Amino acid sequence: MNNFIIIVTGILGAITTFYVSHHHNQGAVRASALLSLLVGLFFYYFPDLLNTYLTKNIPVVFIGTSFIGMISTTTRRSYIHLAIAGCLFSIIYINKNNLFQGFGGALGALAFIALLTTFAFSFAFSKSIYKLKAILRLRKWK
Amino acid sequence: MKKNKAIRRFTIATVLIVQTVFLLLIAKNNYDSNNFFSIVAILLISVIVLLGHGHLDLHHSKHDYEKLSVVIWVPIGAIACHLLNVKYELGSVLSAGIIGTLGSFTPKLNKQSDYYKELPTAIYCGVFVGMSSNTITPTLGFVIAAGIIAGLFFLLSKNLFIGIGGKLGTMAFLGVFIVYLLNLIA
Repeated sequence: MNNFIIIVTGILGAITTFYVSHHHNQGAVRASALLSLLVGLFFYYFPDLLNTYLTKNIPVVFIGTSFIGMISTTTRRSYIHLAIAGCLFSIIYINKNNLFQGFGGALGALAFIALLTTFAFSFAFSKSIYKLKAILRLRKWK
Repeated sequence: MKKNKAIRRFTIATVLIVQTVFLLLIAKNNYDSNNFFSIVAILLISVIVLLGHGHLDLHHSKHDYEKLSVVIWVPIGAIACHLLNVKYELGSVLSAGIIGTLGSFTPKLNKQSDYYKELPTAIYCGVFVGMSSNTITPTLGFVIAAGIIAGLFFLLSKNLFIGIGGKLGTMAFLGVFIVYLLNLIA
């Protein structure tokens, strides 16, 4: 159950940051920082609402996945991409145990890895690559 | 021109190496705890990351570097976040949130100025350095050194990894990781 909540937090972190950043024109930095501040403050004032594991890790996962939501619209990615990247981030985060604990930027590096993996998957399965392969096949056939 | 190309390759290679090391260390950690499903998944992600670097169009073709007057805000953001995080014991997320939110309002100081518009990203990059715990960056000197190295990568990566979430965090991680390694060697 804890892992499920962490994964849902990850997906929400990425999507809400992107939504606030672009649909409310707040900019990537403010969207990420302000939402993380709100989540951090919530668990700072209500530390006993959830169990210790979740109280400690939800703000961390949220700020980590909010970095995914800082993506620019120029990359033309959908909410599904962000949700997959957020989910991937949470899965790696759960499995990394205490490695790189206390390293500033480790969450950002993890967000980058999750996003890059999602992009690469998306690229491999996009229709354009199929079209390109078809063109290449046609060229060889000629 | 060759110098620019070499610097560009160096920055991309450093990011790639650090990401691979990061993932392999997680895989090794899971190997120690016999979690073989995780090892396969993480090794697969490592391969995809390597392929992603090779095939995705992540960079701008033009060489450009960030201005020093902007980069100077990276160590400043790091110091501010470190003080809140360690000295006032607010925790890493709250400290990052406070400094990041305050930093995001700097363009409001002068709406016409392009300089102020660039400050939030530099400050937020520094904030990630300041999120490090007391065991990784025990003194303010470590934070400043990590902030300067992160700032250097921030300067070099202006036209690299454009619009990708996690870019600033990766630059901060490079700074903290390099200072941590130097401290281990020394």
